[in-house]
Amino acid sequence: MSTLMEQRGWFSALASSSEPERSGPEPDWLRNTRDLARSAINELPVPNRKLEAWRYTSIEGLLQQQFTPAVEQGHSWTHEELEPWLGPATDVYRLVFVNGQCIPRLATGLELPTGVALGSLRAALGTDPKLLATWLNHTGAHEEHLFSALNTALIHDGLLLHIAAGVQLDRPVEVVYLNLEQDQALLNQPRNLIVLEPGASATLVERFIGADEAVYFHNQVTELVLQEDAELRHYRMQEESRTAWHLSSLYLSQDARSRYQGTTLSFGGRWARTEYQTRFQHEAAHCDLNGLYTVGKGQLTDFHLDIRHSVPNCTSRERFKGILFGKGRAVFDGRILVEKQAQKSDAQLRNDNLMLVRDAEVDTKPQLEIHADDVQCSHGTTVGQLDPQQVFYLRSRGIDTDSARRMLCLGFAGEVIDTIEIPALREQAMERLTATIRTATETLE
Amino acid sequence: MNSQQQTMDDLIRTGYQHGFVTDIEADTAPPGLSEEVIRMISAKKGEPEWLLEWRLAAYAHWLTLEEPDWAQVRHPPIDFQSISYYSAPKKKGDGPKSLDEVDPQLLDAYNKLGIPLEEQKALAGVAVDAVFDSVSVATTFRKNLADAGVLFCSMSEAVREYPELVRQHLGSVVPYKDNYFACLNAAVFTDGTFVYIPKDVRCPMELSTYFRINEANTGQFERTLIVAEASSHVSYLEGCTAPMRDENQLHAAVVELVAMEDARIKYSTVQNWYPGDEQGKGGIYNFVTKRGDCRGDRSHISWTQVETGSAITWKYPSCILRGDDSIGEFYSVAVTRGMQQADTGTKMIHLGRNTRSTIVSKGISAGQGQNSYRGLVRMAQRAENARNHTQCDSLLIGDRCGAHTFPYIEVRNPTAKVEHEATTSKISEDQLFYCRQRGMSEENAVSMIVNGFCKEVFKELPMEFAVEAQKLLNLTLEGAVG
Repeated sequence: MSTLMEQRGWFSALASSSEPERSGPEPDWLRNTRDLARSAINELPVPNRKLEAWRYTSIEGLLQQQFTPAVEQGHSWTHEELEPWLGPATDVYRLVFVNGQCIPRLATGLELPTGVALGSLRAALGTDPKLLATWLNHTGAHEEHLFSALNTALIHDGLLLHIAAGVQLDRPVEVVYLNLEQDQALLNQPRNLIVLEPGASATLVERFIGADEAVYFHNQVTELVLQEDAELRHYRMQEESRTAWHLSSLYLSQDARSRYQGTTLSFGGRWARTEYQTRFQHEAAHCDLNGLYTVGKGQLTDFHLDIRHSVPNCTSRERFKGILFGKGRAVFDGRILVEKQAQKSDAQLRNDNLMLVRDAEVDTKPQLEIHADDVQCSHGTTVGQLDPQQVFYLRSRGIDTDSARRMLCLGFAGEVIDTIEIPALREQAMERLTATIRTATETLE
Repeated sequence: MNSQQQTMDDLIRTGYQHGFVTDIEADTAPPGLSEEVIRMISAKKGEPEWLLEWRLAAYAHWLTLEEPDWAQVRHPPIDFQSISYYSAPKKKGDGPKSLDEVDPQLLDAYNKLGIPLEEQKALAGVAVDAVFDSVSVATTFRKNLADAGVLFCSMSEAVREYPELVRQHLGSVVPYKDNYFACLNAAVFTDGTFVYIPKDVRCPMELSTYFRINEANTGQFERTLIVAEASSHVSYLEGCTAPMRDENQLHAAVVELVAMEDARIKYSTVQNWYPGDEQGKGGIYNFVTKRGDCRGDRSHISWTQVETGSAITWKYPSCILRGDDSIGEFYSVAVTRGMQQADTGTKMIHLGRNTRSTIVSKGISAGQGQNSYRGLVRMAQRAENARNHTQCDSLLIGDRCGAHTFPYIEVRNPTAKVEHEATTSKISEDQLFYCRQRGMSEENAVSMIVNGFCKEVFKELPMEFAVEAQKLLNLTLEGAVG
C-alpha cells in the first residue's frame, strides 16, 4: 500500500461497495447521514504515522487486506452449534450478533420491563424510526474519524438500547458479537446506540468473540448518551481471533450528574484498538474508565482516550494496565482536556505496564491539557518488569518461579478485574487472564 | 484586597527592566536568505571550504522542509526573507586586543545589564565570552584557561584556529537534517561558543556566555559546541537578556555537547529575553535545538534551565545516553505570563546499558501564559536496566492561563524501568492563608510558595545563577496573584 490515494481508495471502495438499502426503503435522514459520511471519507485525513493519533499504530497491514462488508446471511447456525462460544445465559438479557448482524432467534430472556427497548437497530428502523432519527449520530461520530465515517456510511445493524426515564434495569444486558470464519474476509460493522433517559440505570456487558483463524475486521461504533442522573455500568471483554482486526470507537455524551463506569478487557486480535471519546455536557457528571490489556506475540493493542472537561465540576478517573508477554506492542494515548470554564474539574489518569519479555514494545502518552486554574489533575505512567525482589520473596517461601510470577501478574491485573461488579463475569475474566498468564509465564526463560 | 489587587495589577504591568537599545554601527547584511547570503557570511568569516559546503548543503535541505506545527504555540507566520542573517559590530582597526579596546558603548550596555565586564578578573571564577549580536567582542580569562589546556573561544575563532576539532564534532550531535530550525541554523549560523576540555582536565572555573540580541530585525543564529574528553569536567552557564523591541526577533540556536568516557558536562541556562508587551506584541521567538551526546561510558550530562522570557519558547534540551552507565538529567523551571507561550521539555534516548535519566520539570503559568511540557523517554532494545524518573508539576496562577503535559514514553526493553508523574494545581488557599495569618504579605507568601515549588530545580544551578534565577522569578511573578 504505497500512496495516500490508494489508501483513501481502500476506504471509499468499501464505503460504496454495498447497498445497505437492500432490505427495504430507508428514511431520508438516514440516507442523508450516509451521504455525509461518504463525503467525509473523501476529506478526512487517512490515518498514518505522521498523524499524532496514529503515531504508533500502523494500519498498513489492515489496508493490505481485502474485506467484504458483511451482508445478511442465511444464518443456519443453531443455538447448540454456537453454545461453546456463547456460554450459559443466566440472569441476563442476551442479544447475539453473528458477523455484525443481530440474530433475534439466538436472543434469550428478552421479557423486558416497560420502558426498555432492546434489540436490533435494523428492526428499530421499522418499528421506532423516530427514536433513531433523534439519537443516531447525536454525538457526531463520523465527523472526525475516518473509520467511524466508514461505519456510518454503511450503517446496517447494531445494538439499540433505550431506557425510559427513571427505569432501573434489573438484570444486565449481555451482547455477544460472534465473528465466525467465512469464505471471504468480512468487514463487520455493528453500529450501537445506547440512550439512558434521566434517572435510568443499566448494566451492559459486551463480549467480542472470534473463531480461531477467522480473518475479519470488526469496526464498531458505539454512541452512548447518558441524560441527567442516568447511570451505566459497561463491561467489555474483547476476545477476538488472533488473526483479526478490531476497532471499537465509543462516543460518550454525559449530562448533569450522570455516571458512567466502564471496564474494558482486551485480550484478542492481532490489531486491536479502542477509542473512548467522553464529552461532559453538564456539571457534576462522573466518568470512570478502567482497562486491562494483554499483548502476546505479534499482537498490537491500542487504547486511545479523549476526555474533555468542558463544564465545571466533573470528575473522571482513568486506570489502564497492560501486560506484555510476547513480541507485541502496546500503545496507550490518554488525553484529558480541561477547558477554560471547567473549574473544579478533577481528573486522574494512570497507565501501568508490565513487560515480561524482550522485543516487546510499550508506547505510552498520557497527556494533560489544562486551561482552567482551579482543578485537580494528575497522571502517572510506569513501565517495568516484575520486581525481582517480590519474586524472590515468594520463592523464599517455597513457591516456584512460575507460580510466583503468575501471582504477581494476577495481583497487578486484579485491580482492574475487581471493578467488575458481576461475579460470573469477574470469574470469567479472571479465568481468561489466568490462562493467558499461564501460557505467558511458561514460555518465559 | 482591592487596593492590593490594584498594586498587583500595577506590578503585573511592570515594564521589562532590561529593555534599552544601544546605538552601535552595525555591519548588517540586507534582509533575505539565499545562497549568496550564505556565501557572504562564510566569506566574511574567512571560513574553510568544507564549512561553506556544509552550510550550502544545509540550506539546500532546508528548502525542502516545512515549518513544524506540532508544538502547542501560536504565532503569525515567520517571514524568513525579512530577516537579516548577518550583523556584526563594526570593528575599529583589528579588533580589541584587551578589554580596554572594547567599544565603550558596548561596555556600557553590559553595565546596564549588570555584567561588569571590566570587573571580570575581580569576579574570579567566571570567564565571560560576551556575544553582542553575532560576533564575540571580548573574551576574558583565556590565559588562565589556556594554562589548564581548556579551549574557550568564539566559534569563528575556533574554525580558524582549531579547524580539525571543529570539523570532527560540528554537526555530530545535531546534524543539519535534524529539524527545520537546526537546519536553518546550520546554514546561517554566525557565531557561538566553542569549548574543548582535554582529557583528565577539570575546568578551573565556571564558563559563561552572555548572549544579547541587539540589532533590530537580526535573527540570532548561535552555535555552541562543547567537547569534553575522557574524565574531564566542565560547567557552563548561559544567560540572556534582550532589549525591548517591537518587532519579533527570531532566535534559532543550536547547542551540541559531546561527553566522552567519565566526562561530565553541566549546562545551565537562565533565559530572560523580551517576552513582548501585554498584548503579546513583540517578543523573541526562541526556537532552540540543544542536545548532548553521552558518547563514552559513565559520562554525565546535566541540563538546567530557567526560562522566564521570550514570547515563544520551543526548546527541548536532550540527552543521547549512548555510553553504558551514562547519566542524563534535565531540570527545568519555565514561567509564562502575559501572552507568553512555552513548549519545552526534553528527550532522553537510552541506548546503553544501565543508563539513568532524571527529569524534573516545573511549569508556572500566570496571566494568559501557555506552558507545555513535551518530553520523550525512549528505552532502546539494548538499554538493559535503564532507568528513568520523570516528574512534571504545573502551577496555575489565574484562570486564563494553561498548563499542558505531553509525555511520550517508548520502551523496548523489559528490564528498563520508567516512571512518569505529573500534577497540575494552583496555589492552595490553605497555604496562602497559613502564610498570611503569620503576617506575610500575599506577595511574599506567593513568592515563597513558588520558590519552594521550584527549589528542586534551583538547587541544581551554580550558586551565582541560583540567586539570579530566584530574583528573576520573583520579578516575573510580581503581582501575578490577586
